[in-house]
Amino acid sequence: MSFFGFEQNDLEKEKRKFLEGGRHDEDLAVYTWGEDSYDGLGDALHERGDELNDETFGGSGPIGKDFDFGHPAPNTEWQQSNHAARERDRSPEQLHHARPLSPQQTQPSTARTAHSLESIWDDKSPFSVLPRSATNGTGRSLGAQHARQASATGLTGQQAKYSPLAGAALPARYSPAQSLVSDHSSLSRGTSQAGVRTLEEIEAEMRVAAQQSREAAQRAQLAQPQQYPVQQHTPPPRMHPHAQSPRFHQLQQQILIQQQQHHQQQQLQLQGLQEQLRMEEIERHLRAQQLHDSPHQVLHQRRQSPSLLSVADLHQLAQLQQEQRRRQVSPLGVDSRYHMPQPLEEGMQFLPSNIQMQQRLLAELAQEEFIREYGHTQQHVSPEEQELLRTEAMRKIMEAERMEEKRRRKAAKINHMSRYNDLMTQSDKDFITRIQVSQLVTQDPYAEDFYAQVYGALMRSRLGLQSGDERVLKFGSGVGVGLGLPGQRPSGRKQSAVQRMEAQVERIVMNARQREREKGLHSLNSLQGALGKTAGRSYKAAPRQLLQVDTPKATHVGLHDEYDAHTIGEHAAKEAAKLGREALGEAAGASELVHRDPLSRFESLAILEELYDTVLDVEQLRREQPPTDDEDSYQFWNASYADRVGQLWDGLKVMVPLETSNPHPFVSLLTPIKGKKVLPRIARHLSGQQMLTVLTLLVACFSQLDVVVDAPLLDSLQETEERKEVERQTQAFLGSVLQSILPVIAKASLRLVSGLLGLLLDRSDIVVVSRTRPGLALLTLFLSRVEVIKQNMVTSTDSDEDPTPEEEEQWQLMFDHLFQLIAPHLLSLFPSVRIARSISSADASLTTDHTDQPVWQFLAALGLHAVLEQQQLLVTSLREKVLDIVLSVNKGWVADEEERRAKLGNVNIFLHALGIDSSQIVL
Amino acid sequence: MLIFSVFKTLTDQRVTVELKNDLSITGTLKSVDQFLNIRLDSIKVLDEARYPHMMAVKNCFIRGSVVRYVQLPAEHVDTQLLEDATRRESLNQGKR
Repeated sequence: MSFFGFEQNDLEKEKRKFLEGGRHDEDLAVYTWGEDSYDGLGDALHERGDELNDETFGGSGPIGKDFDFGHPAPNTEWQQSNHAARERDRSPEQLHHARPLSPQQTQPSTARTAHSLESIWDDKSPFSVLPRSATNGTGRSLGAQHARQASATGLTGQQAKYSPLAGAALPARYSPAQSLVSDHSSLSRGTSQAGVRTLEEIEAEMRVAAQQSREAAQRAQLAQPQQYPVQQHTPPPRMHPHAQSPRFHQLQQQILIQQQQHHQQQQLQLQGLQEQLRMEEIERHLRAQQLHDSPHQVLHQRRQSPSLLSVADLHQLAQLQQEQRRRQVSPLGVDSRYHMPQPLEEGMQFLPSNIQMQQRLLAELAQEEFIREYGHTQQHVSPEEQELLRTEAMRKIMEAERMEEKRRRKAAKINHMSRYNDLMTQSDKDFITRIQVSQLVTQDPYAEDFYAQVYGALMRSRLGLQSGDERVLKFGSGVGVGLGLPGQRPSGRKQSAVQRMEAQVERIVMNARQREREKGLHSLNSLQGALGKTAGRSYKAAPRQLLQVDTPKATHVGLHDEYDAHTIGEHAAKEAAKLGREALGEAAGASELVHRDPLSRFESLAILEELYDTVLDVEQLRREQPPTDDEDSYQFWNASYADRVGQLWDGLKVMVPLETSNPHPFVSLLTPIKGKKVLPRIARHLSGQQMLTVLTLLVACFSQLDVVVDAPLLDSLQETEERKEVERQTQAFLGSVLQSILPVIAKASLRLVSGLLGLLLDRSDIVVVSRTRPGLALLTLFLSRVEVIKQNMVTSTDSDEDPTPEEEEQWQLMFDHLFQLIAPHLLSLFPSVRIARSISSADASLTTDHTDQPVWQFLAALGLHAVLEQQQLLVTSLREKVLDIVLSVNKGWVADEEERRAKLGNVNIFLHALGIDSSQIVL
Repeated sequence: MLIFSVFKTLTDQRVTVELKNDLSITGTLKSVDQFLNIRLDSIKVLDEARYPHMMAVKNCFIRGSVVRYVQLPAEHVDTQLLEDATRRESLNQGKR
């Protein structure tokens, strides 16, 4: 920012010294401007105020030939003429110096090279003299400085090279190492470049140097704006052309008048110079065409506008030549310069504030020096003004620093925030969620979410919560979203969030629908597939069907026609044969009765599926039952409901005549587990009379039931697949079928029970039936119902409900018959006994206590109804068994407390019915 | 939507997700969406010795399309209801 730290060498002395052949004082300050030890601080220079550079240096396009030297522009012209005046007597030497260097001239010695380097600053350049000319004053020197800065930039094309501060003010403090390097490199240069070089060599070196310097400059320019953007835009106040004081301008006027006197001489001088220069230019231009950013550009410009040629330019040219020469002899230097800025820049990146502090310090020091050195000679600049300038400069610097700080903070913030680049914001996520939810919106949210809805309802009812309404989000137009089963009701803030979400989703759906309507019916939902393909519809995602299973409806379909025709034909033939046989009189008296083959498993399954569909329909209908006061819709609903129930009733095949097939179609339907399981669901919709019919049919066909037929399989301890299957079926039968007929039996009259028992005894082998758990359960149900009826007879005063004596008599008859049939096989009723018999080992009974329990219950019921002789028969039959159990328990043969209690409990069930207790039995 | 509906009832239950790359992950089902993407918490990988890189993973999001099987906890599935729901689904499908 200041050149004022330059040591004030006597230029004339220097010139003499130089011309005398390279002798020079060793204590000369070493200015390393443009040197390899250059510290790069020049990059930090404020480059503002360059607007007039082109004008000043003739770069502003074609310039007319009508240049008037007689009336020069006050600002630029006096400078030129001033320099020229001072240089007049020196110009021959100067020109000699500026002449292109022949190889002989470049014969280097170490000392000579060093001298030429130094002479860049302390040679004949008028600028280095400027500060000393008392008449010019501060403004002058500033102007010159400004011009030189610009020209240096233009000449070298390397902003990075201009570093007056480093060279002048604090070279040692700032970069001692670098100055060492410069010493070293100049030495090595001297040694390495010894000997005469040819023009080609020099040219090659120049090209390399230019290339490297260009690269370095580019690099510096690239690096520069990032680090010092602010500084580049805030020039130091004194450099600004408009910052000059009015007094300075007055001074300029005075000088101008003085200059007028020298003008004629200058003109002559200049013309001579021009001629010489032109010659040199052409030569040089040919020599280094590739150096685009090199001083030759300036030369070009000058050639275009020779009238602008000035002595100042000439001196710049001289400098340039020296620089060039230096470059020629120091490719190493260029190299090192090329490498130097990088670590420096890196350092700057890490220590920007440090650099700033240094700069500020340097600026202050330079200023102080300036004031100390020139203050007394330049009387017209008052101390106040200096102080003012100083504070102004400080203020600007501080401001620049503040700006820099601000910028850095901003950059850091942006950097910090950019961590989250490419991530979704919360609102993005919310939006996606809403699109997702909007895709879940359906016309029938309950049906779409059926499983979750019903499961949730079941769970709630199981947990004893109030079985709330459907957990669906309904919108105005009947569409909605199934919510599944939330753990708990959303509370407070969550609730409002849900409402907000609800509103937003509804809006999305409505908008989508609106758009759809606007676009026409062809366009699909605009959000369809916005998030990808939905795999929600399982039929779309289902694997390709490999097995083509025939359904009755699908018989006419293509490939299978032949096969179907074949089977149908076969079937028809059988039917015809059967019909023929019946016609021959095998089934006398049953003309309408058509014997059929029992339903195949597949047929019954198909029927069951239809039943299930109907059941689901009916259940849905039940849920949608309109209020009874809405006459029309209730009527309509009732009709369709009755229709569906009728379908169910027909589907159950209960009304098919008993002898149609064995097993009866109804029994066939009950054979699969799902048949057993559907019965309670159908029973809910059937009337009492219909259920009674079902019960009667069931009792009549009891021995046909799979659970009765397969029951012997249970009398084994081996865990086979069949046994497991029978066990499962038996459980399903007890759980579903008997449960669904239980209410019917519980309301049955004595006469009905007698009739049912009679039917059972008549149509089934009661011993076989009673050896099965379903059979025992049914018999126990009958007996308990009669027991309840009997007790009611005793307690109730109302005799309307009481059975008639004839009915009682009939019951007794039936019971006697039952007892008579069962009595010889009492022991074989026990599964434990049957198992023990089958595997003929004693220890088998240990695990069968719970399976014996229904038997004990049945025997107890039997005992209740038995008359005295029957009871005695019971006791004698079971005496062994009872005693066996009581003994084993009392003697401690049964180690397990639980098992002991189970055994005693079983025995006591029976004994209590007879009015005694196991503890009364004395062994 | 049936399976989506079923999974909704299984939130907070332990399920085992078998992926198409033979990785089996057991974890607590946190959420599922209509693409049957699955979020699992406190996961454990079957045969950890073979997949040591999964040991440190505590939760995960599984894209629905990479799932081969999901093993459901039997006690938390109402099979009969599931059958019914399937019937309804196929009924609805027939209507379309």
